[in-house]
Amino acid sequence: MDWEALRLSLLLALATSVVLLPLGTMTARALAWSRFRGKWLLEAALTLPLVLPPTVLGYYLLVAMGAASPLGAFYERVFGHPLAFSFEGLIVASVIFNIPFALIPMQRAFEAIPLEVHQAALTCGISPLRSFFKVELPLAWPGVLSGMVMTAAHTVGEFGVVLMVGGAIPGETKTIAISIYDRVQAFDMQAAGMMSAMLLVISLFALGFTTRMGRR
Amino acid sequence: MMCLTRRLFLTLLLLFPSVYTPAAAAQDVPTVAAAASIQYALEEIAAAYERDTGAKVRLVFGSSGNLSRQIVQGAPFHLFMSADEHFVYDLRKRGAAVDEGVVYAVGRVALFVPKGSAIEADAQLADLARAIDDGRLRKFAMANPEHAPYGVAAQEVLEHKGLWTELRGRTVMGESISQAAQYVASGSAQAGLIALSLATQPNFRRAGSYVLLPEAWHTPLRQRMVVLKRGGESARNFYDYLQQPAAQAIFKKHGFETGEP
Amino acid sequence: MLELRLAQQSPIPLDAQIRCETGELLALVGPSGSGKSTILKTIAGLMRGPVGRIVVNGDVWLDSASGAHVPAHRRRVGFVFQSYALFPHMTVLENVLAACDALREEDRLAQAYKWIEAVRMKGLEDARPARLSGGQQQRVALARALVREPQLLLLDEPFSAVDQLTRERLYEELAELRSRLSIPVVFVTHSLPEAQMLADRMVVLHHGRTLQSGTPDEIFLRPRTAEIARLVAHKNLGEAVVLGHDDRYTHVDWQGMQLAAAACPDLPPGTRVNWLIPPLDVRLVDMRFDDYTGRENIHCAEVESMVPLGGQVTVRVRMPNGQRLTLTATAHIVRKRAVEVGRVVDVSLLAESIHLMPREPEAAG
Repeated sequence: MDWEALRLSLLLALATSVVLLPLGTMTARALAWSRFRGKWLLEAALTLPLVLPPTVLGYYLLVAMGAASPLGAFYERVFGHPLAFSFEGLIVASVIFNIPFALIPMQRAFEAIPLEVHQAALTCGISPLRSFFKVELPLAWPGVLSGMVMTAAHTVGEFGVVLMVGGAIPGETKTIAISIYDRVQAFDMQAAGMMSAMLLVISLFALGFTTRMGRR
Repeated sequence: MMCLTRRLFLTLLLLFPSVYTPAAAAQDVPTVAAAASIQYALEEIAAAYERDTGAKVRLVFGSSGNLSRQIVQGAPFHLFMSADEHFVYDLRKRGAAVDEGVVYAVGRVALFVPKGSAIEADAQLADLARAIDDGRLRKFAMANPEHAPYGVAAQEVLEHKGLWTELRGRTVMGESISQAAQYVASGSAQAGLIALSLATQPNFRRAGSYVLLPEAWHTPLRQRMVVLKRGGESARNFYDYLQQPAAQAIFKKHGFETGEP
Repeated sequence: MLELRLAQQSPIPLDAQIRCETGELLALVGPSGSGKSTILKTIAGLMRGPVGRIVVNGDVWLDSASGAHVPAHRRRVGFVFQSYALFPHMTVLENVLAACDALREEDRLAQAYKWIEAVRMKGLEDARPARLSGGQQQRVALARALVREPQLLLLDEPFSAVDQLTRERLYEELAELRSRLSIPVVFVTHSLPEAQMLADRMVVLHHGRTLQSGTPDEIFLRPRTAEIARLVAHKNLGEAVVLGHDDRYTHVDWQGMQLAAAACPDLPPGTRVNWLIPPLDVRLVDMRFDDYTGRENIHCAEVESMVPLGGQVTVRVRMPNGQRLTLTATAHIVRKRAVEVGRVVDVSLLAESIHLMPREPEAAG
């Protein structure tokens, strides 16, 4: 049982959720209430990580974050180590490939709020910002929570992108999914089995929770 | 419902009282990028190193080709232990390594046959050749020659025996030698060419039988290591330790040949 | 006071002008798609498409020419939505309190309770919208709209989704609330009778254009065009040509029959007109019993159909020129005159009630 790897996975899931909570919520709300030319294109782009092969994602992220890229070089200059192959790099990658998992449930939740309720808040003298916290967020909360749980669960399970961008460095980027792969390769089936079972249970609980929230 | 979510959040928070600590900017613990074939040997050496000197090392395993690519892309490794020499020289040329490094061991190739396979492991690969013809061999495992030196060696062995062309269509290529070993040990392939250092491991020995193949059949697997540009004093210390008798003995124990100039 | 002028090309064409005085109840009337709700929502600032000018009590809420636009939440407007739009996650009290931000902290609770009581929802402050009936939800919506004493009250089809009994109770409540407020109230409806019954003034809209505004009586009895007459569902509409005028009447030729109508000296002879007469002003006369003096436009007609409804009977007759008219008479008279289908009766058309409208050129689409 690779506790270090599990800790890394959970930490990554938490960090990703924390970043995507405000970002996702605001984007979801903006998309739910807006209508503009090319909206379909933006929505398609944001949904890409859902269908794109993880290796394609990993490739582009490496190109964008690797030592050869401007971003990677800048980061290394400032922090002394590269962005790729670091935990921070994983957070960046994780936020990007989780966008649709967070955004889609949240956006649906905001869209489900009747337009007239939204308008009613304005006619009551509630500013758009206060309306967000007082009216919309409480009504969209189950969807927001669902998005967060999906994000966290998906992050714990992500393999391809993490491996390509992170490099499986123990204590840094070797998440539990990679650890399982590593154990299988070393033909240590017992360890692999234990960790897999644990991930299965975590995922089941996460989905169960989301489904129950959806019933509300 | 708010109550539940708050509880969940607090639980998660409690799981890591140690908030994430920044990367091994602590140069005190060097990261060693090592070929998959030396996994078990190196883990043992690292433990001995810690016992002897109190210093720790962090080990990352993979195929030599993959690791050297990551190094070029800026991966934060301090010491690189390849399964061949070519990748080390290449890094030196690119300026990623401080010097040409040194050979730390020489590897050997073994034919592995999982339990229950209809093929016999013989040192002349005679039964293998027969199995190709009569259909007992459906899949053959080896490492990918593009990434793994042991894959290159495997190809050379098969070419030497005139089996390469026939086998090509039936190979499953592992991205590293340990993946290839896992393919054949699990029975997904009926036979495979893997590193001796892996075949001698307990969990592989339990899974099947192996036979050592003659060195003459392939270019010697001279495994070279080098300190990388990022490597500091701690990396150098381990680099030196690896060349000393204690470490060399462990290599030998795992099936490597040592004492090469 | 509300003064409005709006125009728009798409998605719905608009060309409207509306005025509503303080304390006045104005109905915006028209068929679906005529732009009524769009106008209402634009007044509230919820729609940004239409351009023009909206001034409320001297405050400029919209002036496209100068680029002025007060955002919706800064307009002191009370809006009751067609779906009531109560906040589902809040209780009745919380819903009303939600509109109280502009009030001082110490006044909020008191005001909320006061208005909840005013709409007769006292005792239900802790209920959630899901547990309330439609009528109850609407009352809460009303309280929420009025609690901060807005400059203007807007109601979007307030009575359409409600049964007759509730509707009558709501009429009463609205009338009562009006007496407590001195603000302009604008409501949107597609029901003519409702507008006539409740409103002080009406604006008829069609395809986004204000066709006519005035008191319900003015609009009903003296619509400016046949289009409006059709919109207010006049039963008796016909086409005629002006023959001439005298000091009392204007004479027209209605498909071969001469009629004396209310004087319209502006229309030169030969003008093609539409004319209307309310069913109540088509009178059954009996030569044997009635005095002829003062009776105008007496003609015989054949009874085609009779439909009793309550104490009235709606009778359809065919005039000598082949045209049909509808008249309403009390059941009592109908019985007395022994009117029945197929019989020929005498009818008199009250000249003063024959209203002439210039015939429009054929409207496109």
